[in-house]
Amino acid sequence: MSDQDKIKENAKNAVKAAAKETGKGSSKGSTKSAAKVTEKTAAKSAAKAAEKEAAKSMAKAAEKEAAKSIMKTADKEAAPAEAQTVDYLDPAYYTNRELSWMDFNIRILEEARDRENPLFERLKFLGITASNLDEFFMVRVASLKDMVHAKYTKKDIAGMTAADQLREISPKAHKLVAQQYSTYNRSLLPSLKSQKLELVTSHEELTPSQAAFTDSYFEENVYPVLTPMAMDSARPFPLVRNKSLNIGALISYRGDSENAKYIEKEMEKEREKEREKEKDKDKEKQKSKDRKKAQFATVQVPSVLPRIIELPDEGDGVRRAILLEEMIERNIGSLFSGYDVICAHPYRIMRNADLSFDEEEAADLLKEIQKQLKQRQWGEVIRLEIEDGMNEKLLKILRKEFEVQEEDIYRISGPLDLTFLMKFYGLEGTEKLKTAPYTPQPVPGLIGEPDLFAAIRKHDILLHHPYMTFDPVVQFVQKAAVDPQVLAIKQTLYRVSGHSPIVAALAQAAENGKQVSVLVELKARFDEENNIIWAKMLEKAGCHVIYGLVGLKTHSKITMVVRREEDGIRRYVHLGTGNYNDSTAKLYTDCGILTCDDAIGEDATAVFNMLSGYSEPKSWNYLAIAPIWLRRRFLYLIRREADHARKGEPAHIIAKMNSLCDQEIIAALYEASTAGVKIELIVRGICCLRTGIPGVSENISVRSIVGNFLEHARIFYFLNGSDEEFYMASADWMPRNLDKRVEILFPVNDPDLKEQVRHILDVQLADTMKARELTADNVYERIDRRGKVLLCAQDTFCEEAVKAVPQEVDPRKSRVFVPAEPAEE
Amino acid sequence: MKTFAAIVIGSAETQMRVYELAARAEMREIDCISASINLGVDAYSEGILDAEKVQELVTVLKEFKSIMDSYSVDGYKVCATSALREIRTGLLVRDYIEKQTGLIIDIISNSEQRFLDYKSIACESSSFEEIIQKGTAIVDIGGSSMQISVFDKDKLFTTQNIRMGKISSREIYLPAAKNSRHYESMLTELLEHELAGFGKLYQKERPIYNLIVVDQDLEDMLRRQYDNIASGQEAVTGDVFHIDADVFRSMYEQAITLRPDEITEKYEMAPDSAQHVIQSLIFCRSLLDHTGAQTLWLMDVTICDGLCYDFGVANKLIKPRHNFDEDIIAASRNIAKRYKCNQAHIRNMEELSVLIFDRMKKIHGMTKRERLLLQISVILHNCGKYISLANVSECAYNIIMATEIIGLSHDERRIIANVVKYNTAPFQYFSKISSLDPLDRNEYLLIAKLTAILRVANALDRSHKQKCSGASVALKENRLVISVETNEDLSLEKLTLQERAAFFEEVFSVHPVIKQKKGYK
Repeated sequence: MSDQDKIKENAKNAVKAAAKETGKGSSKGSTKSAAKVTEKTAAKSAAKAAEKEAAKSMAKAAEKEAAKSIMKTADKEAAPAEAQTVDYLDPAYYTNRELSWMDFNIRILEEARDRENPLFERLKFLGITASNLDEFFMVRVASLKDMVHAKYTKKDIAGMTAADQLREISPKAHKLVAQQYSTYNRSLLPSLKSQKLELVTSHEELTPSQAAFTDSYFEENVYPVLTPMAMDSARPFPLVRNKSLNIGALISYRGDSENAKYIEKEMEKEREKEREKEKDKDKEKQKSKDRKKAQFATVQVPSVLPRIIELPDEGDGVRRAILLEEMIERNIGSLFSGYDVICAHPYRIMRNADLSFDEEEAADLLKEIQKQLKQRQWGEVIRLEIEDGMNEKLLKILRKEFEVQEEDIYRISGPLDLTFLMKFYGLEGTEKLKTAPYTPQPVPGLIGEPDLFAAIRKHDILLHHPYMTFDPVVQFVQKAAVDPQVLAIKQTLYRVSGHSPIVAALAQAAENGKQVSVLVELKARFDEENNIIWAKMLEKAGCHVIYGLVGLKTHSKITMVVRREEDGIRRYVHLGTGNYNDSTAKLYTDCGILTCDDAIGEDATAVFNMLSGYSEPKSWNYLAIAPIWLRRRFLYLIRREADHARKGEPAHIIAKMNSLCDQEIIAALYEASTAGVKIELIVRGICCLRTGIPGVSENISVRSIVGNFLEHARIFYFLNGSDEEFYMASADWMPRNLDKRVEILFPVNDPDLKEQVRHILDVQLADTMKARELTADNVYERIDRRGKVLLCAQDTFCEEAVKAVPQEVDPRKSRVFVPAEPAEE
Repeated sequence: MKTFAAIVIGSAETQMRVYELAARAEMREIDCISASINLGVDAYSEGILDAEKVQELVTVLKEFKSIMDSYSVDGYKVCATSALREIRTGLLVRDYIEKQTGLIIDIISNSEQRFLDYKSIACESSSFEEIIQKGTAIVDIGGSSMQISVFDKDKLFTTQNIRMGKISSREIYLPAAKNSRHYESMLTELLEHELAGFGKLYQKERPIYNLIVVDQDLEDMLRRQYDNIASGQEAVTGDVFHIDADVFRSMYEQAITLRPDEITEKYEMAPDSAQHVIQSLIFCRSLLDHTGAQTLWLMDVTICDGLCYDFGVANKLIKPRHNFDEDIIAASRNIAKRYKCNQAHIRNMEELSVLIFDRMKKIHGMTKRERLLLQISVILHNCGKYISLANVSECAYNIIMATEIIGLSHDERRIIANVVKYNTAPFQYFSKISSLDPLDRNEYLLIAKLTAILRVANALDRSHKQKCSGASVALKENRLVISVETNEDLSLEKLTLQERAAFFEEVFSVHPVIKQKKGYK
């Protein structure tokens, strides 16, 4: 009997024994509950033991089968005990968030591999997977490494320690990288070639004219910005910047050349002086030794220069380009005159970038963040990418200096750092190889409305970006800035674009004498530097700038305009699911509403008072705010749906978000599913919930949509008997959103808007092109399209948005001269 | 349409509420901002305010001012309550804050504060008039004291201040015991003693059916607790929250065992509030036990509402629903009753003095408020006799100065006490009187005017036989002609009036005379 069989057998016996015990218990009645406990424990421990053991073994398929059959058996045998005995917190019911994230990145990679996508879109998707993986390492892997260093052994919701997770991530990441480059080399490069686009992967392949161009380009543009650095006993290993692409080389002193002789002569003079001064013979010995053996040298591929350089036309109609690092590699000899370059290979490192610091202790938040920014590049190296086939000696030096383990070294068979593909996407003259650009359409509710505020007074307005333009949101602030009736503007800013028109409008409003309060969240990851600049500029313009709340990131997206009108003060509020960033609003799918509902206005006022450091209100009309009320509100809404189901009423939840990994929420969803609630989840990225677990999540479906636009909206639907409720939020169902951030959940109350939101959800649930469903085996699979309409949600929304705008009719097209019929006699 | 901002500097928090008022519309609160600044702890235990706290207050008030600007308010009022009232350096702190913020601050007396609270309750709840038809006690639990006001048949019967508040009882009376297991029983005992005194002296046999408690934190906590029990839903806003006494008692049993940090956790209450709400719970239970009230009403009102109400009434944007002056008069009558004043004499004098006041309007230029002060002076003018027949004026002065009269400021009470004093005592002119009492010029003039009228009215019923009832008064050039239709002998009255007329003439340059229409000629 193999190990797997043994585990399976043991588990089955345990379950049988437990079931037997249950049978006895039921006849005796009084021992029933005790039996249930025994049974539950036995079944659970058996399942756990099986899982634990199985995880260790190599036969993954057998493990899955074993765990599944045990779960099923346990469920069947324990049927009478049902909901009472299910432990919804059992780690077996959860997926580790990091592994789920890896799956998400694989789904993006699938888009890069999908031949149905235009070639340049595929290149972009591949670039995205690379940039995602970088961030994943810098933030998540780094934090797991920190935990391991700190000997932190607490398990996550899926029962894994940090070490366990790192162990699982590493092979998956290596596999992902291998897939990235196999896609790049085997599919994308040949496809490019067939489109007469070539990327010269090796400088040795350059034609003489290309080589001449390359060399002169190098000399004129590249050479002046390069700073080669060498390491020897006197010069320590240089600081290599996080995420920077570098070329490492081994160089040896060339004793025979004229130049070398000259250098040697000069150095001899120097040495003489030193000898006299220091009389340090040991040092001298060391130096001459250094010169003889291979030395390490490195040069950073400058990030200020374009990574891809188009080569001159060879007259064969093929466009060719070369990567900057190839160009440097070709000319590396000129950087180390007097030395022979033994070998030169690109490498890249990733450091711990998680910005964790104790805010309570930071006297001045602003200074603290600035300090942290400087420190970030000094973090521990957590990944080393090297060109496949790198010289072993060179690699040994890098390994030693960066203190990396073998599993953290990624041997790359292609250009390092594929994020350059996102830039490559912008290559002119390739429009045919991309999805036709989409122009965001006017918002139907605002067409023909010269006065935005008057339009909002008529009815609430739903915004669905990028299908609808983001302009109304910008105009909302711009118009308020110059409107004499406007008294105050208040807004939260998380990530804003460069030269943001919103920021400019806020500054203008302050200059026009409006009271402008802006909460600028300094802690938005990777945007800290940017945000400090905005904050200072706004302050200078006379805005009241609030630098976030200690210990909490303000992630909510809310703007309020206070206007004095004839019938009194009226508050106009914009609430959204995405940032006030006019650039990303063209790429991210987000929703928002514009309203002047008094109750929401009151709540918005209270939100800003709270963000200014004043007391929270006694109660809220409509909004639910994290970190205090939001979790409870979501749990209440889910549980209320479960109660409906228990009463035999139809119960339905649809929730769309970016990530789902909060244990309490997932447990509540499991409970609701068990109670009979139909739960449809549209989760773009991480999903720690597992579907299809008998007796736990049979009524839950999870789908993920990865399309040209980044799915970003958070929408929540609850059937609530027959009194449907629709909500939108800035928050995902993640602990960080619910507990560590200021987030807002807002309702959609207008009946027309409710219909529109329901339509958005329905279309996403009907997507058969870009959606993938999470199966009971915990893998994402494309939708089985048999018998179904082919539908891509994002394309549908684009088409609908275009249709919703009344087209100006060309009179010449509709003008028809109808010949008169001959008069009847 | 006008906007008004009311700011209250309280002992636990400083709050601003911004309102919008329009004729023929309810006043509408459009913003409410609270900053927790615990001034009370220092004020009650040390008698001064920490400089840091004062600075914090200045910062908050400056921000409030900029928020006021953002609504471009038409008016504002800043009131400070016990925390500034009870410190030694109250005036200095006020001056500093005023100079720093540019806001004018009123430090209001306890009775003014309670009256504003009472106005807030009345204008907040539409059911108020209905509730007070039956015996009702309003208890306002403050930081340093609590105020108990008893209503009977829609009139304020009495109002008393008990010097135990939710902060002071913890910080002053039982500072060492606040973490003790026996804290609840100790505080209950302390309070029982106070309440027994109140019951004997003021409540007597009067039954109380409703207990209205004004305490934001308690209201918030009990509402949450109640909602948790009731439906598992979040607290809902709505009309006045009320529960049966028995329901409260069972909620009390659940809550009293919790530590402040547990209260913070369970009811999402600020840590400061959680410490204080324990006292409020204990007070509330003791009050229910003592008064025998059957229903507990919890109100979330602040004096901001009362301040806005005053602004609205003054700007004719709010039509008064309830006559609050009547409450002040009713409370004064009850004080007079306690001191066994001659009611018939008072009523007659009230009638005459008001008549004189109204006819002399052109001469004295006094307002409706001063008319009210005159009425109260008349009602209380005789109370000194309760203590001593020989030293009436001084005794009356002391009684009035020691008795809280709801709705009156400390300054107004001092004016009344002086008016009553100089009704019988020789009048002291400015240089002398201001050395006895810290009065300003206007107050002095007011005292003189009211005293002159009171003296004449008193002269007209010198015999205490109401001979001049039904008199009419007319101002004819420099003579005030008091026409009395009576056959009774008015010699005593005429003689007394002659004595008093000189002072009256001094004050108003008008000579009062009695003209008898029937009877002896």
